Amino acid sequence: MQIVKLSLKEANKIPIEADNINPDNFAGKTEEDIKTIPVWYGNGQYPLGDFFNVKVEGSDSVENVKLVFEGDVARVKRIGQNMSAGEIEINGNVDMHCGFGMKGGKIIINGDADSWLGCEMTGGEIILNGNASYYVGSGYRGEACGMRGGKITVNGNARDYLGEHMCGGEILVKGNVGLLPAISNNGGKIIIEGNATMPANEMKNGMVIIKGEVSDLLPSYKEEGTEEIEGTVYRKLVGDVNVGGKGVLLIR
Amino acid sequence: MSEILIKNASVCDPAQRINCETMDICIKDGKIVESVSANAKVINAEGRLTMAGGFDGHTHSAGKINVGRFINPNDSRKNLVPGLSGQVARTEKTRAQVGYNTPNTYAIGYRYAKLGYTTICEAAIPLLAARHTHEEFKEIPILDKMGLSLFGSNWQVMEYIRDKEPEKLAAYVAWGLRASRGYGIKIVNPGGGEAWGWGKNVSGLYDPVPNFDVTPAEILMSLAEVNERLKLPHSVHVHCNNLGKPGNYATTIETMKLFEKVKPSRDRQALHVTHVQFNAYAGTSWRDFETGAPMVADYINGANHLTFDLGQIIFGPAVTMTADGPVEYANARMMHEKWSNQDIELEDASGVVPLFYSPKSFVNAVQWAIGLELALLVKDPWKVMFTTDSPNGGSFVNYPEAFTYLMSAKRREEVISGFSKMALDRMVLPGIDRELDFYELAIMTRSIQSKMYSRPEKGNLKPGSDADIAIYDILPGKIDPSTEYEKMKKAFSGAAYTLKDGEIVVKDGEIEATPKGKIYWVNAKVPSAIDSAMQKDIDVKFRKYYTVSKANYMVEDVYLQKPVEITTEGVF
Repeated sequence: MQIVKLSLKEANKIPIEADNINPDNFAGKTEEDIKTIPVWYGNGQYPLGDFFNVKVEGSDSVENVKLVFEGDVARVKRIGQNMSAGEIEINGNVDMHCGFGMKGGKIIINGDADSWLGCEMTGGEIILNGNASYYVGSGYRGEACGMRGGKITVNGNARDYLGEHMCGGEILVKGNVGLLPAISNNGGKIIIEGNATMPANEMKNGMVIIKGEVSDLLPSYKEEGTEEIEGTVYRKLVGDVNVGGKGVLLIR
Repeated sequence: MSEILIKNASVCDPAQRINCETMDICIKDGKIVESVSANAKVINAEGRLTMAGGFDGHTHSAGKINVGRFINPNDSRKNLVPGLSGQVARTEKTRAQVGYNTPNTYAIGYRYAKLGYTTICEAAIPLLAARHTHEEFKEIPILDKMGLSLFGSNWQVMEYIRDKEPEKLAAYVAWGLRASRGYGIKIVNPGGGEAWGWGKNVSGLYDPVPNFDVTPAEILMSLAEVNERLKLPHSVHVHCNNLGKPGNYATTIETMKLFEKVKPSRDRQALHVTHVQFNAYAGTSWRDFETGAPMVADYINGANHLTFDLGQIIFGPAVTMTADGPVEYANARMMHEKWSNQDIELEDASGVVPLFYSPKSFVNAVQWAIGLELALLVKDPWKVMFTTDSPNGGSFVNYPEAFTYLMSAKRREEVISGFSKMALDRMVLPGIDRELDFYELAIMTRSIQSKMYSRPEKGNLKPGSDADIAIYDILPGKIDPSTEYEKMKKAFSGAAYTLKDGEIVVKDGEIEATPKGKIYWVNAKVPSAIDSAMQKDIDVKFRKYYTVSKANYMVEDVYLQKPVEITTEGVF
C-alpha cells in the first residue's frame, strides 16, 4: 500500500489543472519525485510541490496507491484524469472535470463536485458524497459518446444535463436533478431517486428510471404498459420517437 | 536583393517537360531566374525530388469551414495524422494549432506549407459572406489565396437569364466578383440552392427552378457565356446537380456534354467539374449502388474541353460543407448526424454535416474506389486535378496518404483487402494496375492548376515564375514508389524545404518562417452604361430584400492583404 497525502499550501484563486494527479503517475514514487510532477497553473507549468504539501507513506504499484486530499480543492481541476486503477479520496469540494476519462479505480469525494464529473469515463467508480453540478458523466463538447462504462453515485443532487450523450455505464443520483437528464443518450443506465425535469430527450438507447416526480415530460414517447422493479410499478415509455429511439424511460 | 541557388535538385516540372532531371534552380528576389551571382545562398538538394509549390485548386479553408468549427468543437482534439493535426502549442515561430478537419486558420497555413503547398483556392464564397472569408484569408499565413464566388442560385442571375439580358448578367457577375473579391464563377447544384429555400431540389438539368422559370442547363450555359465574355482567368467551376445520388453519373456526363459547344476565350478549359467522385455513382438506390467512374472516365477520355478534380475520400472522420443545401439535409437524415443549414438570402443555400467514412461500409468503400478509378482511368493527367475536396472527402493533411494510393497498386490492394465482397463487386479498382509516377503526380498537384487558373507564374519552375518550391526527401530513381510507400508518405508529409517567394518557410518538415501570402482577385471591366443599368436593378434588390445595404456589401480594400488585382476586358 502507498498512501499519498496532499494538502494545498494556500487556497488558490487561479485554477490548477491537475491532469497529472492520478495514481498512475504517483505509483512507486518518492515524495521528492511527486513534488516535481508538473501541473498547469494559469498559462504556465509548475512543479506540484509549489502548491501542495506532499506526504508519502510506503511505495506500491498503481492498484495499491491511494491519494488523499486533505481539505478543499475547489479550484483544482481534472483530478484523477485518465486514471486506470488505485483510489483517490477528496475531503472537500473539487473543481471541474474530476475523473475525466477515468478507466478504472475509485474516486470518493466528501464534498461537492463542479461540472463534468466523470466525463467520458470508461470504467471504475466515482462516489460523490455531496452535490454535483452540470454534465455529470457526459461527453466532450461535440462528441457523440460521453460516459461508456463504470459507475457514478451522487448522494446529493445534480444539476442539468446529467449523463448527456451517455453510451454505457451507470449513474445513480439519490437526490434531485435539473433539466434534461439523459439528453441524447445512447446506452447505459441512469437511476434518479428524486425529481427530474424533461428527462431522456432525444434518447436513442439505454434506460432511465425516475423514482421521484417528473415535470414537463416530453410528448415524444410511446407508452408500452408497465414494468415492475423491486416491488414498484413504473409506467414504461419508449423513445425518443423523434430520433427513432429505443430507449426505455420508467416513471411513476 | 536576396539570391538563392538550389544545387543538385532532381527537378520534376511538367510545364517544361522536365522529368526528374538533376539541375540547379536560381532564385532572385522571390522569382526564379536564369542565373545568380556567386554571393547567392546555396541550398544543396542532394538529388532530392524538387517540384514547384503545390496548388490546391479546390479546398474549403476559409468561410464555411468556420461553421464546421462551431458544430465540431471535438475536432479540435482530433490527432489522426500526428505532426499535421491535433493540438500544438505555440512556438517562437508559430501560433497555437488545433484541429484536424477544421483546424484553425494558422494551422491551415502551416500544414499546407509542410506538405509543400504554397497556393490554395477556396472553393465557395457566398457574395454576402465574402467579408468573413477574407478575414480568414488574412489569418492564414504563408499561402497565396484566391476564392471562387457563388452565382448558381442567385436571384439576379436567374432573372437576367429569364429576361434574356446577357450583357447585364455579365455586368452583374463582374460586380459580384468585385464585391466579393473573387477569382471566378462557382456554380453549385445550379438552381438547387434556390429550390431548397422552398424545401425542394432540382432533379436534373431541365427541371425548372421554382418561381424563376429557368433551368439548371440555362444557368450553366448563361454563366459559361458570361465567363468567356468577361475573359475570366478560370473557367466556370461546376458542382453538378444530383450530387451524392446513385445514378448521378448520367447527369454529370450530360452536364459535361452541354459544354462541348462553349468556346473558351483564353488558353484553358471551357469547364471544370469538381469533386467528380461524388458525382460518378451508378445504380438506382443505395442498395444497387455501384461505381459510375468507368462511364465518366470514358467520356472524359474522348473530350478535350474540360478538367475535373477528384474529391477523393479518406477513411475516418470528415466534415462535409457545401452550398448544396438539400444534399446536406439528406446527409444529416441518413447518418443521424448534426446538421447546420443556412440561407444566404437572395444568393444560395449552405449546409455543414460531419461524417465518418468507414471501410466497413460498402458505400464508403465504393466511394473510396471511385475517386481513384477516376484518377487512374482518365488517361491524360492534364485533365485531372488531385483533391479530397478538403474536408468533405477528408482533411488535406491526408494528401500524402492519398498519393500512395495513386502511386502504388500494392498499397491499394492492402486497403481493398479489408473490403466486403459486396463492395468489391461494385467497383472496378481491383482490376486497375496503373501507378502514377512523380511526373504525373506533379501535374495533378501543381501543373494543371497553373493552366486551369491562368496563373503562369504558379505551379512551374520556369524563369520568371514565383519561387514557390518544394523539395521532398525522396531520391527519384532510388525509391520504388510502388513498394516503398511508407517512405514516400513520410517525405510528402514534411517537405525537406518549402520555399515561398524565395523564402524558406519549411525546413526538414518544420516551419521556419511565416510570411503573409497574396490574395488574387479579378476585376472584369464592363462598359459603364451597362454597369449603371445593372446597378439600378440590384438597387431594387437591396431596397426590397437584402438585410444589408449595397454600400456595406462590398468587401473593402482594407480586408485584402497583399492583393493582386487581375484585370480583364470584357467583350460587349
